[in-house]
Amino acid sequence: MPLVLMSLELIEIFRWAYGLLAELGLPPVWVMLISYGVIGVLMFGVLALLALFLVWWERKVAGHVQQRFGPMRNGWHGWYQTIADAIKLLQKEDVDIIARDKFVFFWAPVLCFVAAFLAYICIPFGKDLIVADLNIGILYIMAVTTFTVIALLMAGWGSNNKYALFGGMRSAAQAISYEVPMVASILTVIIYAGSLSMVDIVQSQNSFFGWFICRMPFGPIAFVTYIIAATAEANRAPFDIPEAEQELVAGFNIEYSGMKFAMFFLAEFINLFTVSAIAVTLFLGGWEGPWLPSWLWFLLKTLGIVFLLMMFRWTYPRLRVDQLMEFAWKFLVPVTFANLILAATMKYLGWYW
Amino acid sequence: MGKLRTEEFQVNMGPQHPSTHGVCRLLLTMDGEKVVDVVPHVGYLHRSIEKICENRTYAMCIPVLDRFEYVTAMSCNYVFALAAEKLAEMEVPERAEYLRVIMLELNRIASHLIFYGTTAMDVGALTPFLYGLRERELIVDLFEMTCGQRLTYNYIRVGGVSRDIPKEFVPKCREAVKIIGEKLSDYEGILNENPIWIARMKGIGLTDPQKAIAWGVSGPVLRAAGVKHDLRKDDPYSIYNKFDFDVAIRWNGDCYDRYLVRLDEIRQSLKIITQALDGLPEGDVRAKVKAKFKPPAGEVYVRIENSRGEMGVHLVSDGSTKPLRVKTRGGSFNQLQYLPEIVRGKGYLIADLVAIFATFDIILPEVDR
Amino acid sequence: MTRDELKAYIESNFVGRMTLLESGKVEPMYEIKADDLIEVATKLRDDLELKFDFLCNMGGVDTRERLEVIYNIASTSKLHRLDFKVILGYDSPAVESICPVWPGANWYEREMYELYGIDILNHNDLRPLLLPEDWDQGHPMRKDWDAPDFVRMPEL
Repeated sequence: MPLVLMSLELIEIFRWAYGLLAELGLPPVWVMLISYGVIGVLMFGVLALLALFLVWWERKVAGHVQQRFGPMRNGWHGWYQTIADAIKLLQKEDVDIIARDKFVFFWAPVLCFVAAFLAYICIPFGKDLIVADLNIGILYIMAVTTFTVIALLMAGWGSNNKYALFGGMRSAAQAISYEVPMVASILTVIIYAGSLSMVDIVQSQNSFFGWFICRMPFGPIAFVTYIIAATAEANRAPFDIPEAEQELVAGFNIEYSGMKFAMFFLAEFINLFTVSAIAVTLFLGGWEGPWLPSWLWFLLKTLGIVFLLMMFRWTYPRLRVDQLMEFAWKFLVPVTFANLILAATMKYLGWYW
Repeated sequence: MGKLRTEEFQVNMGPQHPSTHGVCRLLLTMDGEKVVDVVPHVGYLHRSIEKICENRTYAMCIPVLDRFEYVTAMSCNYVFALAAEKLAEMEVPERAEYLRVIMLELNRIASHLIFYGTTAMDVGALTPFLYGLRERELIVDLFEMTCGQRLTYNYIRVGGVSRDIPKEFVPKCREAVKIIGEKLSDYEGILNENPIWIARMKGIGLTDPQKAIAWGVSGPVLRAAGVKHDLRKDDPYSIYNKFDFDVAIRWNGDCYDRYLVRLDEIRQSLKIITQALDGLPEGDVRAKVKAKFKPPAGEVYVRIENSRGEMGVHLVSDGSTKPLRVKTRGGSFNQLQYLPEIVRGKGYLIADLVAIFATFDIILPEVDR
Repeated sequence: MTRDELKAYIESNFVGRMTLLESGKVEPMYEIKADDLIEVATKLRDDLELKFDFLCNMGGVDTRERLEVIYNIASTSKLHRLDFKVILGYDSPAVESICPVWPGANWYEREMYELYGIDILNHNDLRPLLLPEDWDQGHPMRKDWDAPDFVRMPEL
């Protein structure tokens, strides 16, 4: 039975399809273009579905935390509720306000949406299941996810609304502050993996005790600080001040409606999945695991982290903006840097396994 | 490099804003994220209840006054009935007084549960809202069982209450009291010790007791600042002097204490309800009141302790079937008036303002009338 | 102080300045002259026996014969309460602002100003409170106020 399950690797399907394509006798450039085109469309579809699933799941988690059911009417436990919502959002009138900065206002949701997808080029979904194994993988991801901040700032500025501007400024300040501890915790892992490539990082933690979260004592610290910083990066409660509903009504996306709003909304959930996927790749051994196929392991672990972040959101109050900054610079930054030094020292002295 | 030029700007918080609890417009002067000044603009919910009451008979005034402060509509019923009874020097049957106390205290708990939920939501925790409303549902069901209404009750009338409670009320009420008593520890568990909650609430929105009294602030806001002022003890009305309960009091006068005072008050109210249920006598629930109720000419001011502070009615009668003047007073009016005093120039952020507004427990129908 | 003690104390200490009215049969109701208001109010607040530090309520009354301004005050430390009023005529009614004595009167006075047209002297901020900023249809709480969509109920 385990053998059957293990053989269900998705990558085999891709290899088989690629083999068929190669046999057609097209020039190699065409083969490459077609294969990347197919993969791009596939990724887009999968991620869009994933975002819809996460929206539904978030509502179910929220419902059960709050002792209610969440969506129940449409299908089994309301499974197509978010699909219906997405279709509704597509049909909604796109309210075009007059006093906006047209260029910035239009491109902000697009940039936000694209930036959210770009990171998936080098996230390994399973063994060999990666679009491109860049040798600077994690650095690339950190770089492109930062575009989101620019998008939010653009949305805040372009809306010509004071609440939106507050939201944009807050998100910029927050992202810049939390980038530092986030990168510092990631560096801890990179020191040991000895590579920036996502595949190499996963391969360097090939048994349960090899997972970075199990490397005492710096592993768990780096994991916790990463999760905190990632929550802030994904703009989720208790760090959701850019869109703090009770203070800024809706923050940066206050003036957006219809499809533009949906793009922000879906990008937010894709970002949530991205930060969880990075956490799994860096600390929880990525696709590694017995019995089940690798992509399923990856998915299960990532959804586990997503669930954790959702539980944060539905149980914690929101931090105030100054407390948020204080927490980043006065607590997280020193802790992560101390941890980094500790990890580096132990690596130098060879006190690790 | 020259100094960076900054300037203050104005933000309209409201009339439609998620955390202004109704339609209140706060005109904020802001310096970046800091609130420099706040000017409340009210009146969006002005329904001229006082003018309508002048044009209605005494019995018809009561459902109108339900809308005066609909979160604790029982108090509005009661305070008007009390004023009319005092003018007419009418005796109310004892059973009716017990029922009134039970209803008033249940309504106080319901109101504080809403406070618990909305405050948590304003500070960013969304789950407690559902917890608070879930227990409030038990109380609202009891009201529905008694008078058929869930929000605007029209239950307490001049001379007593509109009807007797059904048989199953007492056991159901005891059960609800038990459940709420148990769930209170859940409420405290999810928020009281939460470091974020404490960071957001402690030391924010300090009220000075002397100033608060001068500005007419009353109720839990005043008690959280260390003033032991509870009309149920200080100026006892109805049969409150028969019951054994404590006045919940805290000393710091910040948001956190205002929150704790209200949770303590739920406990005390549960205590009163239990005693009232134990001592509930048999008998009539309504004194004989003529169809054309005409209190003698005169005027009287009565006040009761509502969940938002002192609620009062100044009733002027000219001896006809309609009141000459019904001047209502609600706790929120003075608290909203006092709000700029504690915010102005303290350098609070917009998030603090939201927390202060929430813990003052201001509702706008009471301000606008 | 109990009610009777309070009555006796006021009768002996505010001779000629506070007169007991007959409308206050249930609770004593006093009248204060409009030009004496601030002084008496200050004295009521600062008197060590009275200590009326809390303004419960104030508002206008239109009795069809005259305008009145009622004040309900209380003491949070001595636990007693007192009502008094200022009686005004219909032509250019005006009363001194008592914000210096009890700052909480601020909004009550604004409300009175717009609803009854009672002018508040020395008040720093008389913007409309409950009515719209561009309201020009008179003072709605006056008994003789009429508007096209306002229908009086017949006497029962």
